[in-house]
Amino acid sequence: MSMKIAIEELAGCSGCTIAVLDLHEMLLDVVDKADIVYSPVIMDVKEPPEGIDIAFVTGAVRNAENQERLEKIRRRAKTLVALGTCACYGGVSGLSMLHSNDEIFSYVYREVETVKPDGVIPTDVPPFLYRAFAVGDLTKIDYYITGCPPKETYLKQIIPALVSGDKLSLSRKSVCADCDRKMGAVENWTLKRRYEGVPDREHCLLGQGYLCLGSVTFGRCGAACPKNNVPCHGCNGPSLDILREPCRDIYGMMVRRISDLTDKPEKEVEKELYDIAHTMYPFTIGSLIMEDKEVSKIRDLVKERSR
Amino acid sequence: MKEIAINPVTRIEGHAGVRIYLNDRGDVDSAHFQVVELRGFEKFLSGAAIEEAPRITPRICGICPTSHHLAAAKATDQIFGVEPPATGKKLRELLNIGQYIHSHSLHFFMLAAPDFLLGHDCPPETRNVIGLARHSPDLAKKAIAVRKFGQRLTEAIGGKPIHPSNALPGGMSAPLTAAKRAELATMADEALRIALEGWDIAHTLLDGVDTEFGAVRTGFMGMTNHGVYSTYDGPVAVLNGEGGRIGSFTGTDYTKFIEEYSEDWSYLKFVRLKGGENYRVGPLARLNVVEKMGTEHADAALAEYRERFGTVSQAALAYNLARYVEFIASCELAVKLLSDSGITGTDVRTPAVEVVNRRGVGIIEAPRGTLIHDYTVNDAGIIERCNLIVATCQNNYAIDRGVEDVARRVVKNGALSDGAANQIEMVIRAYDPCISCATHAIGRMPMKIELVRKA
Repeated sequence: MSMKIAIEELAGCSGCTIAVLDLHEMLLDVVDKADIVYSPVIMDVKEPPEGIDIAFVTGAVRNAENQERLEKIRRRAKTLVALGTCACYGGVSGLSMLHSNDEIFSYVYREVETVKPDGVIPTDVPPFLYRAFAVGDLTKIDYYITGCPPKETYLKQIIPALVSGDKLSLSRKSVCADCDRKMGAVENWTLKRRYEGVPDREHCLLGQGYLCLGSVTFGRCGAACPKNNVPCHGCNGPSLDILREPCRDIYGMMVRRISDLTDKPEKEVEKELYDIAHTMYPFTIGSLIMEDKEVSKIRDLVKERSR
Repeated sequence: MKEIAINPVTRIEGHAGVRIYLNDRGDVDSAHFQVVELRGFEKFLSGAAIEEAPRITPRICGICPTSHHLAAAKATDQIFGVEPPATGKKLRELLNIGQYIHSHSLHFFMLAAPDFLLGHDCPPETRNVIGLARHSPDLAKKAIAVRKFGQRLTEAIGGKPIHPSNALPGGMSAPLTAAKRAELATMADEALRIALEGWDIAHTLLDGVDTEFGAVRTGFMGMTNHGVYSTYDGPVAVLNGEGGRIGSFTGTDYTKFIEEYSEDWSYLKFVRLKGGENYRVGPLARLNVVEKMGTEHADAALAEYRERFGTVSQAALAYNLARYVEFIASCELAVKLLSDSGITGTDVRTPAVEVVNRRGVGIIEAPRGTLIHDYTVNDAGIIERCNLIVATCQNNYAIDRGVEDVARRVVKNGALSDGAANQIEMVIRAYDPCISCATHAIGRMPMKIELVRKA
């Protein structure tokens, strides 16, 4: 009996399924040892069958249909793996919580320039839930694989190990651990917008004034963005120390690090920050775990829902 | 009323279903293509700094993230008034080609070809890329190799194979090294060889297939640079249903040509020409618009394609062949750009200083069709308004009518066989709809066909 594998899609972009296809030729080895019995992006089976050994669930939960699918795949799979940042932390779908559901629908169907003010707001469709959720907020998850999407190098280790039932030890460090930049002197630090100037390639981006989230972000991406002269914006979700410590949060840790780096008081640092939702929490705003931290700013950012 | 549901429609990107309404005789009364997700990017981008748009919007779609990345980057160029230097622009073009090679090969070999090569009556468990691997292992290996090149190219230029981040206001964040260029050039030659071999399969794919299936008459829209095929830059031409050119636009002028509307039963908006005529975008539309591809092998393929389908084709299933002609062109363009000595230049970015224009419209041809990112910002460059027009919204009407056309042909006495259901899906897949793009979506699904019998 070969291992039965499924991939379920919730509120996301299908990028995590593409990441599985990005095993490239290794995919053929995987399907030699295991049967992919359900994956809507690549095959025609309409519903997950019973008796799945390993199911990967990608995407967040944003509407009623997502929630039903999550419950169903949990019932039918022995092992359920949250694949990708959306499943683990809500991903960018969480940003939809910055506005009420009514505001979103009204804008999309009645307010953008190319629609008419009396546009139809669909009702014969699965209704939105009052908020976004990470899958672990709603059901038991056996393994979490973060990444937007998880990178090929790691999936090439993780997926075969899961299929053969082997244990695997992987790096648990932050993005900074893979970054090749030096700190250098930090003088007259002021926060720069990410479009301003051209960062030098040698020194720490945060030290240069760019909001780089490398130090508060879980690694396993090879620090791809900083190595390409682009500040990290946290797409792998929080680093392990932030995840584990109830009193640690992405925003708070960033403020503390900048303060340590620059000798500016934390209050002064905070004055320079802007648009915390899109710069600090774009990938984690939909996660209850991240919201429930005492020091989290997410609660302030998200409007209370009454629908 | 009786409903038949094909839910989810599988092997497309995202969640969609089909609902077929039957009359009391069991014949098709009407049918609709239904999308059940929305993610709300247009709204939740407001309040974000404009330079974040090229980094957030790729997450609209994991299959065509580069298209969103580049459309947004082009909009930011305008907002900061910075034109990428020559090398920066070439790198963006190459990045865009990486997107096409991955997406078109994925669609042709892995999502659409199983229908044609394995037959639509083949069982659903095997009618897919894995079944293809067992049926034609050599072809599957080649498909994997060529898509891998697309992803490697995207990673080298864009920083990551999925959700690239190197395009930014004024160009690119990093140059291409000579060593990397050499490595990619070797892969590009191989990819082109595979693409040309594949044409032998592709060009006969529709032989004996009734291409009237899912037929719908519409206008078309696609980018062209003085009649030559172009996907990164150039005005967008608009054709009417007779194939006559009714104009072209750049930038904000898109609002003079098109309008969106919505229906109660789908989260997916519809786009039509002002005045009410419907139109389509994507490979079929682009080939209808251009005079030539501008590369040797693709032009030869185009000539063959036109022998069968004419200069302007309305056939939905011709999308599959048109896509392949573009795939050949993409491989040729990759070879060409990678042998351009200017591609490894180090001047890749014009530094942005401040907001120069409060509005920027980035237009690009995504694999599935014309993609428009329109942002309005305040003086500090914070997004106030955002409008995203994606390919699948523009094809929504044609998909919807195509579904009804096929439903009328295959639903017999109120019943739908598996094979017939897949024929409905084949028409949908011809458009390669990207539902997560289309709805900037929330949630996802393969397709359900529902038959609804009117009481």
